[in-house]
Amino acid sequence: MNVLLAEDSLTMRRLLASQLQGWNYGVTEANDGAEAWELFQNSHFSLVLTDWVMPGMDGLELIRRIRESKHKEYVYILLLTTRSANENLVEAMEAGADDFLAKPCNPKELRVRLRAGERIIELERTLIRQNTRLKQAQAALVQSEKLAGLGQLAAGMAHEINNPISYVFNNLSVLQRDTQAVMKLLERLEPCLPLLRQADPEQGQQLTAAMTACDVPWLQENLPKLFESMQDGLARVRRIVSNLRDFAHLDEALWDNMDVVGALESTVSILAAELESRQLTVDLQADDRPMIHCQPAKIKQVFHGILMNAIQASAAHDLVKIRVSQVKSFVTVEFTDEGAGMDKVTQQRLFEPFYTTHPVGAGQGLGLAISYGIVKQHSGTIDFTTKPGEGSTFRVKLPITAWAPAKSRTATV
Amino acid sequence: MSTGVKPPILIVDDEPDVLFSLKALLRHDFELYTAESGDEALTILSQHPVHVIMTDQRMPGMTGVELMNHARAQYPATVRIVFTGYADIKAVVQAINSGGLFRYITKPWDPDDLIETLHLAAKRYEEKSARAQFAADVKAFVSDAMTLIQSTVGSEFADDVASLIGRAERISIQADTLPQEPTG
Repeated sequence: MNVLLAEDSLTMRRLLASQLQGWNYGVTEANDGAEAWELFQNSHFSLVLTDWVMPGMDGLELIRRIRESKHKEYVYILLLTTRSANENLVEAMEAGADDFLAKPCNPKELRVRLRAGERIIELERTLIRQNTRLKQAQAALVQSEKLAGLGQLAAGMAHEINNPISYVFNNLSVLQRDTQAVMKLLERLEPCLPLLRQADPEQGQQLTAAMTACDVPWLQENLPKLFESMQDGLARVRRIVSNLRDFAHLDEALWDNMDVVGALESTVSILAAELESRQLTVDLQADDRPMIHCQPAKIKQVFHGILMNAIQASAAHDLVKIRVSQVKSFVTVEFTDEGAGMDKVTQQRLFEPFYTTHPVGAGQGLGLAISYGIVKQHSGTIDFTTKPGEGSTFRVKLPITAWAPAKSRTATV
Repeated sequence: MSTGVKPPILIVDDEPDVLFSLKALLRHDFELYTAESGDEALTILSQHPVHVIMTDQRMPGMTGVELMNHARAQYPATVRIVFTGYADIKAVVQAINSGGLFRYITKPWDPDDLIETLHLAAKRYEEKSARAQFAADVKAFVSDAMTLIQSTVGSEFADDVASLIGRAERISIQADTLPQEPTG
């Protein structure tokens, strides 16, 4: 461990330094408070040993500055002084010193006090590590709760939207069919106009005017296009609803045994055109050919979604690596790309439905949300590591024998 | 359709918009009855001859499958279809497997497919009723023929007549137990 030693007396400093080195501490020496503060700012020290009385910045001022610097890790400070009255002790402790040692100090005492400091630093570090882990676990929990909530919302929406879509879609077909009949009627009416004008000029005039106002040729040309456009739009809505149902796994799929490597190979071949157009290479390697019990259609959808994302993140000539490994009763599939990586916001919102980095309308932003839902349903996990500019790795971990969970609560909305 | 007579069909859904929409789609091809609940559907079935009944599964009160069980017990000749937007496939699959349903249609349905399915169902009804009619005709013919033979044939043929009566009775029983649904 490195110790920052601040002491204006050269003899004293050398003595202390040689003692510290003898106990295997690294020592950085400063001959006054200002130099110590300078050194502290440049590199971090967990342990500081400082004299109280020094020219310029004294020990107390140094301690105050260190305490105010709000370092992430705790700094243990031992104050050395010839002042040993009680009020001195209070003043030193109030400034932020952890311990107080009278000069000249007994080497044995100095050593045990330094060790006490080390223990506290170690405890502090453990605490920070555990705190970080706790925070990560909490974030994961919040994420999973949020997605469960969204799943429920999606299920409710999918159901509620489905009924109106059903009859609107039907009405559109009816309207299209009946409008065609009306247009045919108009076509047959037109040749009769001269006859009508002869028989009843006034009625004939009125009907001609009405037909002109309708702009029949425009209708003939454009009504079919209007219907087509509406059909397309509605088909898109239907697809979104169907994807939402997948996210909320409202529909039940078949369970079967699946060859993981085979499934990956077929996914890669489905995306062959995409890979070729971007001149990407896929490197698929597996220790073995593990079989898992799963819903093959849905797991292939997960592989497809992740590989598609990797393709979209990659630049020309990049390599996409797929690794399959088996540890105990789990099979892990890793997809690594050399692409752009993801920023903080994307990392946090990745699995949310409708979150997309593509322009609105280009992708629906449901791919990873659905994948998350599917993997969760298989009692598996999906996670990732990413570095902006270097690429991302997605890891799907699936149990070899996934039990079909009891009807999930999202399905009973 | 070949006869030019529209087959009578009953559609049941608790959402009036769905009923209206289906009426618009099917009005050319079928004689339509609509009901917004299972109870209303049973009332209509008791008042009109209906060849095909198509019902939504999720409805307040009686569910589609329940309605189908009633309909099957009271009007076995009627061809039955369930349509639903829910993925509660289990109830519907059960209804199909227990032999009650002709088809299961998901919402949203494809309009052209729906018309085709309903025509198939109407055809199924005609086949079923033709079989039933044939069986009834055979039974009536056998019965009439036996009455005539018994009243005109002399006692010297008593043994032959007794044998004929035995065969006639067997044929009548067979006509009654002809399968209602074509297999396959």
